[in-house]
Amino acid sequence: MFERVEVFYRPASVREAVRLLAGGKGRARIVAGGTDLVVDGDPTARALIDITHSGLAYIRKQGGGCAIGAATTMAELEESRTILALGGGILARAAATCGSIQIRGVATVGGNLANGSPAADLVTPLLVLDAVVVVADAKGRRKLPIAEYLAARGTKGLRQSLLVEVTAPRPLGRRCGWSFQKLGRTALDISVVNVAAGLQVDGAGRIQWARVALGAVAPTAIRAGATEENLQGRTLDAEAIAQAAEGVMREVSPISDVRASAAYRREMCRVLTRRALEECAAQAGCAL
Amino acid sequence: MTGRKVVGVNVRKVEGHKLVTGAPAFTDDIEMQGMLYGKILPSPHAHARIKRIDTRKAKALAGVHAVLTYKDVPRVPHTTAGQAWPEPSPYDTYLLDSKVRFVGDRVAAVAAESRAIAEKALRLIEVDYEVLPAVIDMELAMAPGAAVIHDEPDSTKIYDRSHNIAGYILREIGSVEQGFRESDFVVEREFRTHRQQHTPLEPHITICWLDPNGRLVIRTSSQVPYHTRRQVGQILQIPVSSIHVIKPRMGGGFGGKQEMLLEDICGALTLASRRPVKMEFTREEEFYMARSRHPQRLRMKMGVKRDGTVLASQLTVLATTGAYGSHSTTVQGNTGSKVLPLYRAPHMRFECHVVYTNAPVAGAFRGYGCPQGFFAQETLVDEIACELGMDPLDFHRMNVIRLGDTDLLSAQLGEGKEGLPRVVRSCGLPQCMESAARAIGWAQKRKKFPSGHSHLRRGVGMACTMQGSGIAGVDWASAFLKMNEDGSFYLQVGASDVGAGADTVLSQIAAETLGVTLDKVIITSGDTDITPFDVGAYASSTTIISGGAVKKAAGKVRAQVLEVASRMLDAPVDQLDCANNEVFTTCACRKAVSMTDLAMQAMYKEKFQIMDGASHFNTDSPPPFCATFAEVEVDTETGQVHVLHLASAVDPGTAINPMQAEGQVEGAVAQGLGYALTEELVLDADGRPLNPNFLDYKMFGFQDMPKLTTILIETDEPLGPYGAKSISEVPINGPAPAIANAIFHAVGIRIRKLPIRPEDVLRALHAERPANLDEEAMFAL
Ligand SMILES: Cc1cc2nc3c(=O)[nH]c(=O)nc-3n(C[C@H](O)[C@H](O)[C@H](O)COP(=O)(O)OP(=O)(O)OC[C@H]3O[C@@H](n4cnc5c(N)ncnc54)[C@H](O)[C@@H]3O)c2cc1C
Repeated sequence: MFERVEVFYRPASVREAVRLLAGGKGRARIVAGGTDLVVDGDPTARALIDITHSGLAYIRKQGGGCAIGAATTMAELEESRTILALGGGILARAAATCGSIQIRGVATVGGNLANGSPAADLVTPLLVLDAVVVVADAKGRRKLPIAEYLAARGTKGLRQSLLVEVTAPRPLGRRCGWSFQKLGRTALDISVVNVAAGLQVDGAGRIQWARVALGAVAPTAIRAGATEENLQGRTLDAEAIAQAAEGVMREVSPISDVRASAAYRREMCRVLTRRALEECAAQAGCAL
Repeated sequence: MTGRKVVGVNVRKVEGHKLVTGAPAFTDDIEMQGMLYGKILPSPHAHARIKRIDTRKAKALAGVHAVLTYKDVPRVPHTTAGQAWPEPSPYDTYLLDSKVRFVGDRVAAVAAESRAIAEKALRLIEVDYEVLPAVIDMELAMAPGAAVIHDEPDSTKIYDRSHNIAGYILREIGSVEQGFRESDFVVEREFRTHRQQHTPLEPHITICWLDPNGRLVIRTSSQVPYHTRRQVGQILQIPVSSIHVIKPRMGGGFGGKQEMLLEDICGALTLASRRPVKMEFTREEEFYMARSRHPQRLRMKMGVKRDGTVLASQLTVLATTGAYGSHSTTVQGNTGSKVLPLYRAPHMRFECHVVYTNAPVAGAFRGYGCPQGFFAQETLVDEIACELGMDPLDFHRMNVIRLGDTDLLSAQLGEGKEGLPRVVRSCGLPQCMESAARAIGWAQKRKKFPSGHSHLRRGVGMACTMQGSGIAGVDWASAFLKMNEDGSFYLQVGASDVGAGADTVLSQIAAETLGVTLDKVIITSGDTDITPFDVGAYASSTTIISGGAVKKAAGKVRAQVLEVASRMLDAPVDQLDCANNEVFTTCACRKAVSMTDLAMQAMYKEKFQIMDGASHFNTDSPPPFCATFAEVEVDTETGQVHVLHLASAVDPGTAINPMQAEGQVEGAVAQGLGYALTEELVLDADGRPLNPNFLDYKMFGFQDMPKLTTILIETDEPLGPYGAKSISEVPINGPAPAIANAIFHAVGIRIRKLPIRPEDVLRALHAERPANLDEEAMFAL
């Protein structure tokens, strides 16, 4: 593992990290918590750039929403008042399900996103929260909606860039509901399926805004766009929820592997989506 | 129980301090000058012949000191199973061979100055394979035209090599045909079990070197140091007298180390390089290059009277041993001999084919064939009881083996040969059942039919199991004791503490017998130069067999002690007793001498060493019993099964150290829960392991553990030291059937395949039919 790594850098700033990355000729890898990177043991890596001392571990309130530095750990997310208050605390809840206490002490939000696993647990809540990712490279900083970031992650442009922070916009206000649901084989597990949902209803119980995101059932975590659209404007009741839960099954493309079969994953999308929307409804004050 | 000072007391583990302070106690905790790293080149193919192998580039690499292929080593057919000579397992394995038989089989081995160089050298070995058709599915192994896995002529003791049959067993007591005829109901079901891996915290590891006399020293994490010494001598063709095996502290074995697995190749590399060599499996290698539990397909048929009396039981098993026949017939023999006799049926029949497949090799694993058999039997029995309208607990009360019964199947099914009849001389099973039932709340919870509204449904289930304590007429052990000037005793035993606490228990037995406190016993175990023979740590034998040897040896030494005391105190031996580090008169005069003064007297005045040794074996294998009760919650939407509470009540005879005994139960339960629900090494169609890592091989962690209730029901076993039998294996058998039965109680589906995966539960729930339909199908005779 890493036998060919020649240097280990610990830059003190984002600027320095970006410079080192650009100078790495495609053979430099960023390392944060290392909980994915060390397990993968990429044999092509020649330089490691440790960003845990680059000023990227922070959670700030920003314009009513918040900004989370890429090197913020799962443990920090779990306990942060700001994150617990954001979107019903779904991001904190998701962080709390990631691995063991030891893993959560070092695993970072940036690593969870940059690693690009379809099962990464922070991604579905961030999709629901309409998060935006800030990346930096030698040319400067860019903002990308998280879905765009996920789609472009593997491209050459993004592979050479540093994920700086994730921002979540101002929360929606009253009559909202939020949920994060995870299904694993044991308490400590990568998601077999995970679902995050968020919605807001008006005074009459009609859905004004809806987000449903699913993980581990497509090449990246996805938003169930058609289902969200179908929910829009509908009264939040048992029937709407049942239809949405059926609907997501058509929007996912799960695979069979040693963790579960595609058919089971698809079925679980239905179950978890229903449970998620039921929880949302309860929080939004809608009786089912 | 009366008046015991050390036995039955929760003393701390004798090696506890050393372990918690991180003292260098384990195999890996030494660093030797010039030590090399040995690595095995694993086969990428499930079945292939090596057409050409060229090691020149690997040998030329700087830092490489030895490269071995089949061309460089003696060809000696043997078994890796660490069993007493002559091993009942087939001699079908070679140090290195020109044929590979599973993904992970040995192709070549190197020793180099660092692990990185060794790995690089492996990549430089050029191999041309002739890939052969592989047999992965055990159901196809005996089919006409199936590839023959052991076509080499020099292997021996294979039952039928042309049909890939490693072993075959058929035994019958009475006549099952008659039994089924006389039965009112006959039920037959098929069950399937899977490949579980031992996952010891410490993987297999061995360090070999040549001592100044040129003898081969093997420092190894092994349950069987003595068998290893004999087998390495046989394989490397060097005399046993030139081998010294040392077993340091171990980080678990669970049967996986009842196997000579790295010692031969590591020794060969040491002989070739004349340097110390360390070999250690990575976790990934441990999963598929070490051993696992035999997968089985079991057909079980039982005949009962209308009132629930069991008349006949028949178990027909197909099992696979993987590419080599290590423990093949003996594990499977247990599936019959330790399982069927739990019920007092006059007619029993057990038939089993153990087949080779091009899959990772199965071997000894805690439970040794019983978890598979009991899963089938206890699930079937639950079904029968429910269909008869009987409480399964009543069914068990009525039918299970009793004190004074003789188990005749064991007489027919010994360790690879005829065995000896098993007489039940101690039996706490009835109390086990009652106390575990009480702990789980059986009476209330069985009555209350689980509520049908929520998607979470609860149920309770039970299972009864037994095991053995040592292999009757085969296992034997010895112990040696000598007295020191300060009144302490040096105890030497060949027994191999795997981490389960044998050193502590054996010290307790010595201390109790000698009338000294535990700190006065200094134990050395598992070293073939220093300690006398012991077959090793397996078959739940250490406490009863090695403990029996210790008690005998201590008894002899005690007699010597009393003789000296008799001279010192001027009292006849029969009026002397010892306790609390002194010998005292039992008469009214109350004279006493301390062990220290006594030792000084013996050594410097009388000029003789108080010392003696003894050997011990049993002609019977007293069964420990266990009742396992589980309460589960089934999520009917996801199929997930949560175990809420697991109660085990075990009869270990006397618990020499109750705290350690409870620890063994809890460890067995954790492993049994994983076996039931989550642990499975999965192979793809080409025999490649899909999940050789802890990411996807799911064991029970702390957060997954249910509430545990552990109850010891102590009995007094006449054949055991201070009444002890055994405990470490039996509690692993119960969780799977108890959980399957609890699932039935909760949601009305019968699980007959392990592990119980959420998907399968869900599928069964969707396919669920009204119970009465099932009933008709079941009693169609
Ligand atoms: C035992 C165990 C259990 C786990 N359980 C879970 C779980 O339940 N849920 C889950 O989602 N994950 C889980 N993981 C995966 C892992 O912990 C997470 O994905 C974690 O968030 C990765 O963060 P890290 O800081 O350790 O990333 P690293 O391993 O340091 O990096 C991961 C990848 O991201 C890149 N990277 C890191 N930071 C940046 C950055 N700022 N900019 C650009 N690229 C970057 C690295 O180059 C690397 O390619 C588990 C891992 C282990 C070992």
